[in-house]
Amino acid sequence: METLGFLMEGFAVALTPYNLMFALFGAFVGTLIGCLPGLGPANGVAILIPLAFTLGLPPETAMILLTAVYAGAMYGGRISSILLNIPGDEPAMMTCLDGYPMARKGRAADALAVSAIASFAGGLIGTIGLIMLAPVLARFALTFGPAEYFALFLLAFATLGGITGKNPVKTVVAATLGIMISTVGIDISTGTQRYTFGVLELYEGIDFILAIVGLFAISELLFFVESRMGRGRDKMNVGKLTLTMKELVMTIPTQLRGGVLGFISGVLPGAGASLGSFISYTLEKQVVGKKGKFGEGDIRGVVAPEAGNNGASSGALVPMLTLGVPGSGTTAVLLAMLISLNITPGPLMFTQNADIVWGVIAALLIGNVLLLVLNIPLVGFFVKLLSVPPMYLLPIVTMVAFVGIYSISHSTFDLYFMVAFGVAGYFLRKLEIPLVPIILGLLLGPEMEKNLGHALVLSDGEWSVLWASPLAMGLWIVAGLGLILPYLVGPLLRRRMNAAMKESPVSD
Amino acid sequence: MTSLGDRILGLGLLVLAVAYGWAAQQWPEPFGGAETVGPETFPTMLAVVLVAGSLYLMIKPDPDAQWPVGKSAFELVISLVVLVVYTLLLEPLGFVIATTLAVGTLSWRMGAAPRPAFLTGLLSAVVVFVLFNYGLSLSLPAGLLEVH
Repeated sequence: METLGFLMEGFAVALTPYNLMFALFGAFVGTLIGCLPGLGPANGVAILIPLAFTLGLPPETAMILLTAVYAGAMYGGRISSILLNIPGDEPAMMTCLDGYPMARKGRAADALAVSAIASFAGGLIGTIGLIMLAPVLARFALTFGPAEYFALFLLAFATLGGITGKNPVKTVVAATLGIMISTVGIDISTGTQRYTFGVLELYEGIDFILAIVGLFAISELLFFVESRMGRGRDKMNVGKLTLTMKELVMTIPTQLRGGVLGFISGVLPGAGASLGSFISYTLEKQVVGKKGKFGEGDIRGVVAPEAGNNGASSGALVPMLTLGVPGSGTTAVLLAMLISLNITPGPLMFTQNADIVWGVIAALLIGNVLLLVLNIPLVGFFVKLLSVPPMYLLPIVTMVAFVGIYSISHSTFDLYFMVAFGVAGYFLRKLEIPLVPIILGLLLGPEMEKNLGHALVLSDGEWSVLWASPLAMGLWIVAGLGLILPYLVGPLLRRRMNAAMKESPVSD
Repeated sequence: MTSLGDRILGLGLLVLAVAYGWAAQQWPEPFGGAETVGPETFPTMLAVVLVAGSLYLMIKPDPDAQWPVGKSAFELVISLVVLVVYTLLLEPLGFVIATTLAVGTLSWRMGAAPRPAFLTGLLSAVVVFVLFNYGLSLSLPAGLLEVH
């Protein structure tokens, strides 16, 4: 019941008019970010960080804003899946399977409405799971010593590629590159200058915010320029709402199953929202069996993945908040915000910054309600925005990224740096080196080195301390599995996901 | 299907890893004597991991991606030049003029007709400028348009 008290305090934080306003704004912008193809949630949150930072928002408000954006992006992703058969973000991929056929049958409005409700149910279930699980995990994490943390960081990197990841070596390379960038600057413990080459701007290290914005936003622009998809696509008609109460009631079990499964895969390292929506969809198909018309516009085929990916997005916050180890790209970007607010994420945050943690959790609940309310009447507005061609949109988004970075330091040096990161990001993406591990490396690198140092000082230089305790050993084993499993299970899972995509009769 | 991309990447990373690791060995011993974990310990570990990763990439490369050639590559270079020139001119010309030019050129090169492209640029520049300077009181450079 202690938790309930904290939650009430969280509501007291989140329900102040000022914070509520930012939650509403975040939910709105998030939906926008989610529904526009080419502006993924990680990218969108990354661009907003410098703005939240320079506005001088108090930490809890900044986090509430970004969490609302994060939740909103998960809602928004479904809009373009249903109307255009193009997922707005990766987790919304499975929503295409039945959402688009529904839209073609003239039931676009129903698909949008029911998916909004499913998103709400998934988000709600996920958040309840977060409320129950997070404090327990945080208490457990208090027993972690430096060696366990070091192993935990390794685990985070090893599983980041996800079980469906293509080439784990590339994930390792990416993470190493990120950590290497984080070692630039003056070493905290000894004062040695590392890799500064005498450049004054490098003494304090490379600001990860500009690296993140460069890697995501600028490389996205370059990708669009290359693919020359600037024209955008035809608009779809939404039509009238014909959803009946009976249909809605029928989907309740699906919503519950999807939300729970999604939450679980969100919490687990290496699974994430994409797998969450995939598992929910496949299971639903199994459960309903031949009675359903999956792939031809079955309403449950829209509900399951949507409940799944929203459950997963709340679930993914569990490791980020309790251990300081994010499991997905967007939560990594949220972690960047926490670190730049000078808040050390991890179990201590639950005691030291309880107002922020519980404020964020309460904001997630409120955000979900706001999003449901926003999404049903405003869907037409979002659909209109979908038809704004990227050739106008992306240059403006890029400009906003420039403004954000510029307003942090008022130095053009940072902007050149950001462009350089963008070019690097473009080449790395072309070579299929994932960007998220780089970001995570940048963020976790200093912590990792610090924990390594502490562990070895405590053990008097005995390296075996790193895997001495059973817990640390266990983490090492899971990390090892995280690297090996994609080789064994990955091809199989990927094939099944592809097969599921192809089965849909209208995958044109 | 060639796989030159990964090989070149692997080679580049190998050079980087060796240089990075070598540089770490050159640092003077910190004041107070050597410890088990000095400033060079962690970078040395990273260099070893990256050497291993880069060797793997060279030995077992993935098939190449489609690299842009001809017009696409040209457009990419143009976009990059626009971004760099934008940064260069941001302070001397001021935010509004530089942004109009940059956003306008990018939209135009991405396929918009020139007039709506530059109008979008101007409009977005003015909106952001007003919003930042007056709404949020974060000063963006006014440049040529500065009122003395």
